[in-house]
Amino acid sequence: MRARAFVIASAASAAALIAGWQLGNAVTGAGTTVAASGTQPATSSASSGTDASSSTSSGSAGSSGTTSASAAPTTDSTTEQAGAADGTYAGTTVSTRFGDVQVQVTISGGSITDVTALQLTDHDGRSVSISNRAAPILRDEVLQAQTASVSMVSGATYTSAAYLQSLQAALDAAGF
Amino acid sequence: MATATRRNAFTSMGTVVSVRADGAADVVARSAAVAASVFDRWDRRCSLYRADSELSRVARGELAMTDAGTELRDAYALAVAWRARTGGAFTPHRTDGVIDLNGVVKAVAIAEAGEAIRAMGVAGWGLDAGGDVLVSGPRADGSPWLVGIVDPWDRHELLSAVALGEDRRAVATSGVAERGEHIWAPTDGIDAVFVQVSVAAADIVTADVLATAIVAGGEAALDELTSREPVDVLAVRRDGTMAATPGWPRAPLGARTAR
Repeated sequence: MRARAFVIASAASAAALIAGWQLGNAVTGAGTTVAASGTQPATSSASSGTDASSSTSSGSAGSSGTTSASAAPTTDSTTEQAGAADGTYAGTTVSTRFGDVQVQVTISGGSITDVTALQLTDHDGRSVSISNRAAPILRDEVLQAQTASVSMVSGATYTSAAYLQSLQAALDAAGF
Repeated sequence: MATATRRNAFTSMGTVVSVRADGAADVVARSAAVAASVFDRWDRRCSLYRADSELSRVARGELAMTDAGTELRDAYALAVAWRARTGGAFTPHRTDGVIDLNGVVKAVAIAEAGEAIRAMGVAGWGLDAGGDVLVSGPRADGSPWLVGIVDPWDRHELLSAVALGEDRRAVATSGVAERGEHIWAPTDGIDAVFVQVSVAAADIVTADVLATAIVAGGEAALDELTSREPVDVLAVRRDGTMAATPGWPRAPLGARTAR
């Protein structure tokens, strides 16, 4: 949460986020009926300042941010949102005077539970990832490799004595 | 070492530095020799294991940091700048007051050795200093450098792999298992949440410092630094669970196996 607040503040782009969010949602909403009453209250609260937008996201700060089912607290007012299917919706990329912004909105139980800026390209065209948060990953999800396919090995620093027992030593000896 | 291969290794800073370089055997040998001289210079300057190093003299109060050589002062300035950039999770100041530059010196030596090898005209090369890796260019066959990440629970197994390239030329891993003494948590007495953190970045100093900072700073440092810094991170917790940034290489869905 601290990180989120920092991101929003340091990007100095609260205005950009809001503008991008509104535009992004307008486009997203057209296709998915997400828009309307779900977005309006949040938009007005976000307009009041950066704290509001970071508190918007705090509800699911502990979750991975990409799935809606898990940690997000559900509200009671879910019934009117017939068309707002749970899920994560990416808005279109919008050019602002701060750079290009794309916003992602997570809907759970008919309510917006998280708003994330997906990308922000600065004026040099460099893509600045401001949603690069680490999320849980399972062991069989990470890219694994056979020892034979790697050139080198990264690990906690080994002593020169422990090197002899290391995978790196095996690779060095084998000539990879 | 009797046969000519495309790799070489030497001992420095208490660990082993492995060198890969494209070209004939003598190119690899010369690359390793250049790298070894760079490492040796930094070790003589900054090792606290050498009583006669410049930094040991500073530690004993015989030499003021302001009177030290440019390289040592620059390395200290770099470490202090990273302390600020990591909110104190990374620091060159030991709790006993000694300035310890272990956290940056190896990475600085790797970077400088890489520049020296590049200056020799070698396009494709790779350096692995005790588990911290920096590469340049594609390999001779055009393929990217694939670097394995050690499994902290079984050091003869790989946990993951990362392909290095243009904007991710370096990967460094910090852990509490070996040589954990250079990582000290700001809050004493709290066990580190992460047993191992790997960081891929554009340069080796960023990768190395942030891996150390996240081990020392825990979940808060992970959240804050991954949102702010252009890096990919794989962090392994003490309980065996893991966290990764979106950019960390994922296994293709079809290749995943149920465990």
